[in-house]
Amino acid sequence: MWRLPPSGLDEAALAAAWRAATPFPHLVLDDVIDPAALEALMAIVDDEPVERYQGEIFVFDATAPEPTTAAFRALRDDFAAALAPALTRITGKPVTRVDMRGFAYGPGHYLLPHTDHQVELGRALAYACYLPTPAPPVGGELELFRCVHDGEALTATEPALTIGPRANRLAVFDVSVVSLHQVREVLAGLRISLAGWFYP
Amino acid sequence: MTESAPPAAAPTSIEALFGARTALIVDDAITEDRAAAVRARVEAAGYQRYRLYDRGSYEVVGDPLVPYLLADLTALAVARTGRALAPVTARVLRLGPGDYLLGHHDVVHDDHPLELVLDLSPAAVAGAEVHYRRRGQIFFQVPSAPRSLALVERGPTVTSHHTYVSKLAPTASVVRLIALLRDLPVNRRR
Repeated sequence: MWRLPPSGLDEAALAAAWRAATPFPHLVLDDVIDPAALEALMAIVDDEPVERYQGEIFVFDATAPEPTTAAFRALRDDFAAALAPALTRITGKPVTRVDMRGFAYGPGHYLLPHTDHQVELGRALAYACYLPTPAPPVGGELELFRCVHDGEALTATEPALTIGPRANRLAVFDVSVVSLHQVREVLAGLRISLAGWFYP
Repeated sequence: MTESAPPAAAPTSIEALFGARTALIVDDAITEDRAAAVRARVEAAGYQRYRLYDRGSYEVVGDPLVPYLLADLTALAVARTGRALAPVTARVLRLGPGDYLLGHHDVVHDDHPLELVLDLSPAAVAGAEVHYRRRGQIFFQVPSAPRSLALVERGPTVTSHHTYVSKLAPTASVVRLIALLRDLPVNRRR
């Protein structure tokens, strides 16, 4: 089901792209899911219960942190088995396991800027895999920010890059104190994704 | 034998102990004309945009220079709380579509000052609220209601955040005067 690297790319080139990426290491890979497998994948996602989550920095619909169906757990584990070895080689960060939730951002849904970095959680890499949607979203881009520090103090942030939620696209980025990012508000349509973190 | 009211139940938790602290909203605290005049005065002073996006995105005037308004609001707060209060800081925030101010950007106070939030917005903005949390739990929500005044007692465990203003309302403009009042020293009370 999963293809990393996607056809036409090699790991050495991806590793170089990872290291050179700004404002912090990341990769954007298209066509990482075998098109023949998309229908079965969407059926698994569709069967997983979804609830509304609302907090200080987010509003979205999502599956629970721990999958409830065996099929979704298998999807998560297959994703880890297929991608973790290659991502370890590409990023230089040893990763083995992953968590995964399904997300649906409709109009008015957003995730405000944050870094994902919490030492005690051990998140090494963050990912979002965008899926086909019946109504392609307006908005909903993943936006990365450049952070400027003076010693420990954060002194400036500025928008640096937006990544559109194109179907069958995987975005992977480093998790650190400077990995400031957000999901811009969806203004219309529906943004469907699988997302989570890779861990050592 | 005489009847008397039953004794008040003793507080059984820390939350109960602090539950009676001031958190209220006064509707129509100022006139529409005065709100418009203050908005114009603050606009003329010049907003500065705050851009540390992990904390907030908004415009601010740090010293709005509205002493008569602050005096009137302080008098109202004194009447409502019974405390001898005086303003110590004031600022005006303006949030447009896409703006927000997060709780970890908030200042936590060791004492128990009173915070005033005067809604100077020209029109109500759905979902644009100020949320106050005590130990992480929301205990008071200030809705978007032009010309209303919220009085909220702060404290060491109280934080606040201003919710995200949706881009689905492209002309939304949320204007809030935020003032902090502290108790006057005993020798300065009338």
